[in-house]
Amino acid sequence: MNTNSNVYTVIYTTVVVTIVAAVLAFVASKLGPAQNANAKAETLRQMMSAAGIKPTDELYATKNADILQLYADNIDEAYTIDLKGEKNGELGTAMENIQLVDKLKPQNKAIKAEGEVTLPVYVFKSGKVVILIYGAGLWGPVWGYIAFEHDCHTIAGAYFDHEGETPGLGAKIKDEPWFREKFAGKTVEWGEDPAFRLEKNAEATGATNAVDAITGATMTSKGLNEALNVWFKAYENHLGLGAFFNMLEEHAISETPNAEEE
Amino acid sequence: MAQKLKETILNPILKGNPITVLVLGICSALAVTVQLKGALVMALSVIIVTGLSSLVCSLLRNTIPNRVRIIVQLVVVAMMVILVDQILKAGEGTYAIDKQLSVYIGLIITNCIVMGRIEAFALGNKPIPSLLDGLANGAGYGLILVIVAFFRELLGSGTLFGFQVLPDSYIPNNLVILPPFALILIGCIIWVHRAFDKDLQE
Repeated sequence: MNTNSNVYTVIYTTVVVTIVAAVLAFVASKLGPAQNANAKAETLRQMMSAAGIKPTDELYATKNADILQLYADNIDEAYTIDLKGEKNGELGTAMENIQLVDKLKPQNKAIKAEGEVTLPVYVFKSGKVVILIYGAGLWGPVWGYIAFEHDCHTIAGAYFDHEGETPGLGAKIKDEPWFREKFAGKTVEWGEDPAFRLEKNAEATGATNAVDAITGATMTSKGLNEALNVWFKAYENHLGLGAFFNMLEEHAISETPNAEEE
Repeated sequence: MAQKLKETILNPILKGNPITVLVLGICSALAVTVQLKGALVMALSVIIVTGLSSLVCSLLRNTIPNRVRIIVQLVVVAMMVILVDQILKAGEGTYAIDKQLSVYIGLIITNCIVMGRIEAFALGNKPIPSLLDGLANGAGYGLILVIVAFFRELLGSGTLFGFQVLPDSYIPNNLVILPPFALILIGCIIWVHRAFDKDLQE
C-alpha cells in the first residue's frame, strides 16, 4: 500500500488523533474525581493549618477522607461577601462548596476593577475566621489563607502557597514554617493604608502590622505584600466593621466592672 | 543478539548518555534538580514516556506516512505525557510532587531525548529493542538528574529527600539552588565522564 498518498495520510492522521483523543478523554473522566478530591483536600489542609486546627505536618500526614471529616467537624459557617462587605452567598459547610485556587484569579481581577466578587469567609467553631488572599509572585501566582482571632483584628495564623516561586528563595513562603509563624499575633490595621506591611526592616519599626520581607526573594515578597493588601482592602468592609463592633463590645464588657470597682 | 541488546541498554546510560554526551534535555535538568524527590519522580516519568512512546512508534513504524511522521510522533508523545501527568495528579501520594514539578512534567514533550530516540531508533527497529532503547535513554537522563539533584539538595538545603543531613551550623548556599549551578555541575560531570572514558576524548 502506498503510505504516502494524500488520502492515506488524511485518513491515518484522523484515525490516530481520534484514538488518542478518546484515550485521553476516557482517562480524564476516570481520574477526574480523584484529582478533584486531591485538590480540595490540599485546600482544606492549608486552610486548617492557618486556622491552627492541627499542626501542618499532621495535616499533611492525614488521608484525604479524614481531612474532610476534620473539616466537617470544625467548620461553623462558610459564606461569601461582596466588596461592600455584605453576604451574597452561602458556601455551606459541605465539601462540594470548597473554592479551589483557580477561582481566585478572576476574583483578583474583579477586586481591582471593583466588580462583582464572591469572597469566601470561613468561620470555624473555635471562633477563628479564615479569609483568602491571591496575587502575582515572581514566576506565577501566590496565594494564602489568613486566619483571624475572633476579634477580626489579630492574625491567628497563616499559610501561603505558590505555583512556581524559586526554590530556596521565594518558595520559602511555603517551605519555611518560620515565615508563616511570624504572622501569628500580628494585627491588620483596618482603615489604614497599607493595612499590613511585608517589607524590608518592617519589624524594626515596632509596628504590630508588619513582617519582614524575605531576603533574596524581593519580588515574591513584594507580590505577597500586594496580594495581602489588595485582599485585605476587599475584605475591609466586612471584617473591619466586625473588628470595630468587637472592640465596642469588649470595651463595654471591660468597662462595666471597672466602673463598679470605683 | 544478546550482545546487541546489552549494548542497546548500556550505551545510552554510559557512552551515549543523552545529557553528558549528546547534551539533550538540559532545560529540565536545570529546572527540576533542586530536590531529590522531584528529580526522582521526573526521572521515572521520562523513563516511562520515552519507553512507551518508542514502543508505540515502533509498532506503527511501517504504517506512518513519511510526510507527517513528526506530527504522528508528537501526538503519541503528547498522549503519554498527559497520561503520566494525569496519573500523578490523581494519586494521593504523588499530588504534592506533581504540584512541585508544575509545568515540567508537561514539558517532557519538548524534551529532545524523546523525539530524538523515536526518530533515530524506534522508526527503524523492532518494538522490543525500541522499548529497551527508550527506557535506557530515559534512565541515562534520570541518572544524571539524580546525581545533580543529590548535590544541589545537599549543598543548597542541607537535606536529602527532605530530611536534614547536614548540621545546623552549615549555611545553605543559595547559588547552588539557582539554575546556573546545575549547569556548572553538569559541566563537571561531563568533565569527569570524559576523563574516564578515553573514547569520548576528541
